Amino acid sequence: MTFASPQFLWALLVLPLLWWLSQPPKPRSTVLTAHMQQWQLAMRALKRRPPRGSWLRFVLLALATIAATLAAARPFVPATPGPQRLVVLLDASASMAARVEPDAPSAFERAKRTLRDRFDELPEHVDVTMLRCGGALRRRHGRAARSMQDLGEPGGGLDVDLEALAKRTASEDCVVWTLTDGQGQERLPSVGALTRLDTSGANAVLEAVRVVDAWPLPNLRIEVDVVAYPDRASGDRIRAELAVRGAVRQEQSFRLSLQSGVRATRTVDLVRTKQGGELVVELSMPGDRLPDDHRYRCTLPPLPAPRIATLVESDAQPFAQVAAESLAEEVGGEVVAPDSSEPVGMLLVDGGVVPLLDERGELLGRRALTFGTRLGASVASEVWPAPAPLQWSRRSPLTVGLDLSELRVDRAWRGILPEGEPFLWLEDGAERAPLAVVVDHGETASMHFAFRLEDSNLPLLPAFPQLLRRAFVRSYGAAAIRREVPPRAPEGERDLSSPAAGEGRGLPEFAGPERSLAVWFVLAGLLAMALRAFVR
Amino acid sequence: MARSVTLPTIPEPFPADFRSLLPALLATRGNIDAGRIERLRARRSVLSQSGTFVGHRRYERGDDLRHLDWSAYARTGELFTKQLQEDDRRAVTVVLDLSPSMFAGSPPRRLAALRLAAVLAGLALARVDGVSVVAPGAANATARFTGTAQLPQLLDHLQQLPVVDAAPSSAVALALQAESVGRVHWISDFAPTQEFSRPLLSLRRRGARVAGWIPTVPEDEAVPVGGYLRVVDPESARELSVPVDRALHDELRRQLALLDRQQRRMFAEAGSPLWRWDQGDFEHPRLADYLPIVAACTR
Repeated sequence: MTFASPQFLWALLVLPLLWWLSQPPKPRSTVLTAHMQQWQLAMRALKRRPPRGSWLRFVLLALATIAATLAAARPFVPATPGPQRLVVLLDASASMAARVEPDAPSAFERAKRTLRDRFDELPEHVDVTMLRCGGALRRRHGRAARSMQDLGEPGGGLDVDLEALAKRTASEDCVVWTLTDGQGQERLPSVGALTRLDTSGANAVLEAVRVVDAWPLPNLRIEVDVVAYPDRASGDRIRAELAVRGAVRQEQSFRLSLQSGVRATRTVDLVRTKQGGELVVELSMPGDRLPDDHRYRCTLPPLPAPRIATLVESDAQPFAQVAAESLAEEVGGEVVAPDSSEPVGMLLVDGGVVPLLDERGELLGRRALTFGTRLGASVASEVWPAPAPLQWSRRSPLTVGLDLSELRVDRAWRGILPEGEPFLWLEDGAERAPLAVVVDHGETASMHFAFRLEDSNLPLLPAFPQLLRRAFVRSYGAAAIRREVPPRAPEGERDLSSPAAGEGRGLPEFAGPERSLAVWFVLAGLLAMALRAFVR
Repeated sequence: MARSVTLPTIPEPFPADFRSLLPALLATRGNIDAGRIERLRARRSVLSQSGTFVGHRRYERGDDLRHLDWSAYARTGELFTKQLQEDDRRAVTVVLDLSPSMFAGSPPRRLAALRLAAVLAGLALARVDGVSVVAPGAANATARFTGTAQLPQLLDHLQQLPVVDAAPSSAVALALQAESVGRVHWISDFAPTQEFSRPLLSLRRRGARVAGWIPTVPEDEAVPVGGYLRVVDPESARELSVPVDRALHDELRRQLALLDRQQRRMFAEAGSPLWRWDQGDFEHPRLADYLPIVAACTR
């Protein structure tokens, strides 16, 4: 036993004073008597006792004083030597989600269970820090570390060198405990405790999924990159199955013959359902230990079913009407009269005047496709005969890949186009005079041509249906988006056949806690005082 | 807790006032009751009031003038006292308690006890054949005195008696060993009574007639009313620290009264009287304070 504040022990010198104070007062006068018996009988009759010092009472008081003094001196049993800190390096990379059996717990779950069991036995005074290595780095300390609070699920690559981290962290006072499957590492930590979790085995990886979504059109193209890594016992040729199901009109399944470690790409054209829903792309392979990286899920929004209204001049050709009907059929919409009481999804106008400007002269944010249409009655127009030569944007989503070189415009109107991004223009030296612009309103967009359909050969061009389709798509705010899904499993977490080798090592003995005895001395003092209350 | 007790100093027991008082006291009328013991028939020269003439001895001051042999004076011109042989010798035994407990009181009870012993023995010297002073525990435990001429020796003897803690039973043995027991006057505090009961009965069985004497002190009745006192028994050296209040005062008085009754009952059972004597002003002795002793002796 050692004292943290031994200077308080000087207080024990008060014991002689206590002895003196505990003595009963001395009578000042003495009476000699021959009748001591009568005095005693009188005292007994009155149930009185002479005031006298009690050895037992003094001993109890002295014990209480000694106990209080010792408690003030903060006695403690020194700690036994050993480390007092534990830093846990928990590998939470994607490979830790591997399961030996389909229903068996993952390596990450097994690691957490191991930690929980060990933490239950760990002395309270050991300071625990946990580092979740792999994916998003998370640090937990103290109680949060012991309860493994919010460690998340395994995912991502192991970006840290566990060996270097363990060496840098370990010290005489600090023990490092690494729990890892050894995947994606060249070597395992050589210092501290090591728990190695077996995740080796076959694995098929859905490396990348690229979705070309023609929304609001129903067309969907999926490009899938798959890689397979067999276990050591299997051959190089691996049979796998790729399935696409969910929000598509027809589920598809393909048998794949893969070569170990070689990426294979499969392109699938699909037609999505109108109502949308979850789209699942799944790669399955017998004996796959890491199922989390062979499934892709995304949610497809329902297709818009627009109500398309057409406004044409009385003497106009039926190009606009035919275009509207064709478009409606393609996207599942319908052609309605412009004066219908129901809201119109898209307005297709050929010539004439349509009030699409507000009071301030700004364009209303409606989905519209106009050909030679004045957007307000006050808009002045000027005939623009046979504008040529014409050029179109090779980058605009509306015209990229289209050939408009055969486009001829007999008549156009100046001053009827709103401010917007031109994608068709008259090239006049360095100047460009727009003949068609797209105005982006955010969630909507409108396209405006400076000429009527009948004043050009645009409806007759092969690119017209595509241009019409793209205009429809663009009117919904964006062109078709090509989505590329990043690979779920990092490069080093795919091949589970060759983890880093190493033997597991147990935790050393931690330092024994420094146990304070002050409380016991306080209790002893209180007990002595309580006993003293009963002693006369 | 027992410890040694420092006994108080006793004032001069026989000052000049007292010594001058004694002759007058001894000259008072009346006889002292004395015992008669056949076996102590006189065969030698002892003081006698009557009987057969056996010889002379020189006159000593204080001798009864009635016993002067005037014929011998006529023949020789010197005073001789007639020595008579008596049939029954009358004697008195004074037993004096020398224990430390006799130092209780203010003035100590021992002072009154010594004076009482002096008076009783003096009366015996003056009126009967002799007196034996029994002091249990003393070196000279039994001293005999005859004739009033030995009164000074008697007083010196009493004054020189030591403080001895002796059991009452030893006093009985000493008293019975005396050649002439006669009436036994036992001077003591007789407390606690248990220690005296058996010796008293023993004396009675042996035929001794005992008179008990308790020289009283103020503390026997005047119990302290209040204060925080250290009460010490000088005999056993036991002590008691006692806060005295009215209740304890009353209870102690009750206990002392009870002791008084026990003492009386003890002597009654022994067929002996018990006298209490208050010496009054001890610094200035008065004859009247001592007359009750004479009166008690003549009853």
